[in-house]
Amino acid sequence: MLKGVGASAGIGIGNVLVLEDISLEYTPHEVTDTAAETTRFKDAVDRFIKNTEKQAKKLLETTGEKEARILEGHISMINDPYMQSEIEKQIASGTCAEEALENMCNMFIGVFSAADDDFTRQRAADVRDVKAGVLGELLGVKEIDLSEVPADTVLVTRELTPSMTAGIKKENIAGIITETGGKTSHSAILARALEIPAVLSVPDISEHFKNEDKVIVDGTAGNIILNPDKKTLAEYTAMRETFIAEKNALEVFRGKKTLNADGKEYELFCNIGKPEDAVKAVECDGEGVGLFRTEFLFMDRTSLPNEEEQFEAYKKAAIILKGKPLIIRTLDIGGDKEIEYLGLEKEENPFMGYRAIRYCIDNKELFKTQIRAILRASVYGDVRIMFPLVTCIDEVRQGKRIVEECKAELKLQGKGYNNDIKVGIMTETAAAAVIADLLAKECDFFSIGTNDLTGYTMSCDRGNDKVSYLYSHFQPAVLRMIEKIIKSANEQGIPVGMCGEAAADPMLIPILISFGLTEFSVSPVSTLKVRKEIAKWTKEKADEITAHVMSLKTQGEVAEYLKTQI
Amino acid sequence: MVQKHFTVVNAQGFHMRPATDFANAMSKFGCSVVIKHNGRDVDGKSLMNIIASCIKVGNEIDVICDGEGENEALAKAAEMIESGFGE
Repeated sequence: MLKGVGASAGIGIGNVLVLEDISLEYTPHEVTDTAAETTRFKDAVDRFIKNTEKQAKKLLETTGEKEARILEGHISMINDPYMQSEIEKQIASGTCAEEALENMCNMFIGVFSAADDDFTRQRAADVRDVKAGVLGELLGVKEIDLSEVPADTVLVTRELTPSMTAGIKKENIAGIITETGGKTSHSAILARALEIPAVLSVPDISEHFKNEDKVIVDGTAGNIILNPDKKTLAEYTAMRETFIAEKNALEVFRGKKTLNADGKEYELFCNIGKPEDAVKAVECDGEGVGLFRTEFLFMDRTSLPNEEEQFEAYKKAAIILKGKPLIIRTLDIGGDKEIEYLGLEKEENPFMGYRAIRYCIDNKELFKTQIRAILRASVYGDVRIMFPLVTCIDEVRQGKRIVEECKAELKLQGKGYNNDIKVGIMTETAAAAVIADLLAKECDFFSIGTNDLTGYTMSCDRGNDKVSYLYSHFQPAVLRMIEKIIKSANEQGIPVGMCGEAAADPMLIPILISFGLTEFSVSPVSTLKVRKEIAKWTKEKADEITAHVMSLKTQGEVAEYLKTQI
Repeated sequence: MVQKHFTVVNAQGFHMRPATDFANAMSKFGCSVVIKHNGRDVDGKSLMNIIASCIKVGNEIDVICDGEGENEALAKAAEMIESGFGE
């Protein structure tokens, strides 16, 4: 079995077709008739543009608008007046067209590759395509034609380019294997747009693959199986069918509201850890962000991030979400998340120690810097503040007092903020669950963090093999904690969400519906799955199951029973 | 010469499509178009130079148009940037 990067999910089974690289070699030489050379260059550019326009049109019909735009972008690149005039200047000084083109393209490939953001780095691949295309025209080499490949073909190539894709008959391509490229490369984007399973970054393809070899491409796991035996082939054929059926069933839920079977609406948010992840939340059809972890801003560095830096990060996420809710959790350090430069003392029992809201209230300036940054970002969307690890009312009151202080400071400085910003808490400790009725009167919302709530309630460390058997959200003690939190929020009429992993557990979802959860926050990839699960349940059926679950006495009984119900 | 200050509001900044649309639109005007970003002058008609400048969401930029049709060019630039390139 060969390992690579699974860049386009699904299973493909077919026969290898190795695409050899076309040689674009030439001998650099000095030109004397520079006018003729300039004309030769311009003609090659014209042919490249005409050809690319044709391919873009084809790609628009076969693949999609987004992919056709990649090719239109190539035309805009070669049309760039700066680039053209620089190339022509080099030709005028005696450089041959091929070399002048290559010099200029390589210069931009270098600049783009050195950029600190992904978008710009990816453009280097575009310049490479443009360079290859125009060089091909100058040298009179023809592109590979993929319009006539037989059914069940698995393409094996160094790189999948948009121009190659333009002629592709996608129903004949079972899978794609490339030597280069990661999850965000053109090869990956094109394979996903074509919905063809793909494994990328497989080294030394020419050594491994021969034409007509039978091959399985597992684009989900990033595996390639060459010449599989009968049993493996049967296994993967079955996996392929399941994958297609599940995918079709999920896509029905894209762009829809999140409703249970009675038509009651829920909020379905995503958990993110970086501002850029907000793009993923939107792409995955999330209705907002229910948990934005802010630790990334503080990790992997040597000093605290200042207000401006934090403001930019929060603002970026808010702008990407375009008015959809963005719940920002204030710094949750301590416990297992250590930050060296804070110089925190080693504690006997860090999970019970100086962490999260406890640390922040005590280190007021650090906390206020973050709160001011969040408040300023609240001008750009529906931003909300959430305090982690609350155990008593005092912490909520102190936290809210600090928010008010920060507002007053910003007002004095003439900086904008949302005066009605919502302030809520993570209910993730046993103490918070038990006094949820009191806390609900002081908070604008609750969000249940099931990972910590389970750990604290069961007094067990999930990472410790000897006790991790206790760690389950189906423990009757944990279920009662969750019930108390949700019911308290419902009585007070405040929203209550769940942002732990459990929110995406199909077996827990009917129980959460019955208790009265109003918001689910899950990892972006689980969004459609959770929407589909919620749609299965009427309140009546969920109540019936939950009533039985709450009469059971052990975690084992609960899990066994739920397995029979879904 | 006319000049205006902007904050980039679209999520992906001046990535491929906005940069292409912007350079194409600006190329229709006779005046010069310069984007000031991070203390650098970027040719607003050159897609390649715009991409190389890595203008991202939240960045502060100035657009300066100088010459024939400068007011129209700046108005067009403002319309594109402020609308977030229709994203």
